[in-house]
Amino acid sequence: MFLFNYRYRLKCIFKDRQLIFWTFMFPILLATLFNLAFANLSSSDNFKKVNVAVVQNGELDQNPAFIQALDGADNLFVVKYTTQDEAAVLLSDHDIDGYITFDPDLNLVVNQSGLNQTIIRGFLDDFKQSSATIITIITQNPSALDNGILEGISSRTEYLKAVSANQSNPDPVVNYFYTLIAMTCLYGGFLGVKEVVAIQADLSDVGARINLAPTNKLTVFLASIMAATTVQLLELLILLAFIIGVLGISFGDQLGYIALTCAVGSLTGVTFGTCIAAIIKKGEGLKIGILIGSTMIMCFLAGMMSADIKYTVMTKAPILGYLNPANLITDSFYALYYYNTHTQFFTDILLLCGFTLLFSSVTYFVLRRQKYASL
Amino acid sequence: MQVYKAFFKVILKNRTQILIYLVVFMALALILSGAYNPPQDTDFTKVKVNIAFINDDGDSQLVAGLKTYLGENANLVAIPDDTKKLQDALFFRQVEYILRVPAGFTEDMLNGKEVQLEKTTVPDSTSNIYMDLLINKYLNTVKTYTTYLPGLSQDELSQNLEKDLAEQSEVTMISNGTHSIYAEKSGYYFNYLSYSLFAILILGVCSVMLVFNDTDLKRRNLCSPIRSANMNMQMVLGNISFAILTWLVLISASFIMYGSFMFTATGLLLLLNSFVFTLAVLSISYLIGNLVKSRGAMSAIANVFALGTSFISGVFVPQELLGANVLTIASFTPTYWYVKANNEITAAVSFNTDNLSSIFTSMVLVLAFGVAVLGVTLVLIKQRRVES
Repeated sequence: MFLFNYRYRLKCIFKDRQLIFWTFMFPILLATLFNLAFANLSSSDNFKKVNVAVVQNGELDQNPAFIQALDGADNLFVVKYTTQDEAAVLLSDHDIDGYITFDPDLNLVVNQSGLNQTIIRGFLDDFKQSSATIITIITQNPSALDNGILEGISSRTEYLKAVSANQSNPDPVVNYFYTLIAMTCLYGGFLGVKEVVAIQADLSDVGARINLAPTNKLTVFLASIMAATTVQLLELLILLAFIIGVLGISFGDQLGYIALTCAVGSLTGVTFGTCIAAIIKKGEGLKIGILIGSTMIMCFLAGMMSADIKYTVMTKAPILGYLNPANLITDSFYALYYYNTHTQFFTDILLLCGFTLLFSSVTYFVLRRQKYASL
Repeated sequence: MQVYKAFFKVILKNRTQILIYLVVFMALALILSGAYNPPQDTDFTKVKVNIAFINDDGDSQLVAGLKTYLGENANLVAIPDDTKKLQDALFFRQVEYILRVPAGFTEDMLNGKEVQLEKTTVPDSTSNIYMDLLINKYLNTVKTYTTYLPGLSQDELSQNLEKDLAEQSEVTMISNGTHSIYAEKSGYYFNYLSYSLFAILILGVCSVMLVFNDTDLKRRNLCSPIRSANMNMQMVLGNISFAILTWLVLISASFIMYGSFMFTATGLLLLLNSFVFTLAVLSISYLIGNLVKSRGAMSAIANVFALGTSFISGVFVPQELLGANVLTIASFTPTYWYVKANNEITAAVSFNTDNLSSIFTSMVLVLAFGVAVLGVTLVLIKQRRVES
């Protein structure tokens, strides 16, 4: 009997085209759109050499040290030597970020304030400061000149070494995809709502018929929930395969834990839906409305619209993050991707299990032993 | 005018769904214009990178000097020395560079020993390169002093460093005339407007069409004593008034937020552009209204259209950050041209033939979209009438 119900609930769900659209096609579509829109977002920070022009005039020729220094900085700049007028045209066409001119002092001409302009300026400051250092030293220790101070200045020592505290690239874009999966998990609530409506005698004719049958309601309902979770998990795994395989978004390499998160997330989503459907006594429209509304608010707080929101919640109101299933799912993926330890991951998963338990008990206690005087 | 009245009765019945998109838009517009403050380009200002500075060495003048120097050239963000918190801050770009001064640094540095500071960064980023430049500059200057003036006390060393590093080069800022602070903000506002406009018009027009295209109701209407041309005329009027009404509501907040700016050339062009776009969206909504068969499909299509066009056309993510392929696909939607015109209008400091012709070309293209889609719809309606 259990298997019979299970099979028919599966059929019912797959035949519901609208449901399949919202729980499956819509997340895939959003993932594609995210990928199209965010593809260049993280690489926009990447360093590209700064384009500068140097105005050629008599004063420049008297400063060979400057040209030498500029040549030495070829890892920073792409340099063009031009006339004053050409430089001005290049600048207004945004072909260069600024131009350098001696008139007679070192002068930088820009038309906006930005990081590239700041780098050019930093380089020029550096040049002036080095000159000042040499003068200070030579006045106190003239022999320095013979001991190669000029060469010493141009050969820089590297004082920095990069250490990486984490296993993956800090790329905030992945968080958008993690929240998208969280949204898909909670949209599993649509399935939950559908199953509750189908089993409650006051909500649908099918429900009334089922309540007449001499079968334990819990058994029937468990079959329904199993069917819903199966569909949800299947959809989620296809979505995950699509995001990882087709879109190439990194989730780290701990596939077992990722699958665990999906399974727990699906259950949380489906029971979230049954819980809403059980508590809200009004029509199906309102149930769906509340489901979408609360999912969106939770996803917003998990950083779906702006990753900064997640950070703000993390640092300013961590408790809010722990009470938000969407954030817990997002955070599980984030922890798997980014942290070296599993403490945060297991905290998230345990809390998610807690939520699932809470949602299912609420559903159970509301649905059981309901009797109707009339329908 | 029974048909016209019925049109708005149906709209009113669907107000909840429509109001959601209105509220979402207003919230977005308010949050964005509150949070975003475009830089003012009259004087050159250094861009300061957010960094975290962690000192494992004792308190020495050298470390204090480095910290002060970095404080002048970057924003020092206070983050507790906790691996997880530092990792989080880097991931969400609260800081872009974490510098750790190792224990024994001061002593090794002053004795000329080899020493290295640890940095954790966003790899390959511009801010990474810039901070490397600054920090290496400071420490190399220290090295030059310790090499050539070995007897220098820490006090004298700091004084010399402070004096040398205070040297600055001249920066001349060529200003392209004044640019209203509202220009960029209102650009965002009008770009976002396209999302809500799409959703609201599709939902509104479709819900009416679904009612009027219902076969039984249509048959009943056809045998009423109103001429079919009259009825169609009222429907067209209804559609247009609904579109204009939506447009008026959506632009109203811009007058509240940007005031008299909306009456400058930039503001008026933005209004004109959004009006032209409204007509094109109305035409698309009308086509969709004649194609959809159920309310479920209606909200699915409204979402797909509103979100899809907004994502690929540069509403949510600026056009310059989108890939060339994406933009090519997007150029087959009116949203792309609408956003392009908006960006050009707000970027222009003064209007000349060059930028005006580009702006109006975009507007004409948007209008052409509208006309083409309307043509398709009319053919479709005609064909159906012949078939039935």
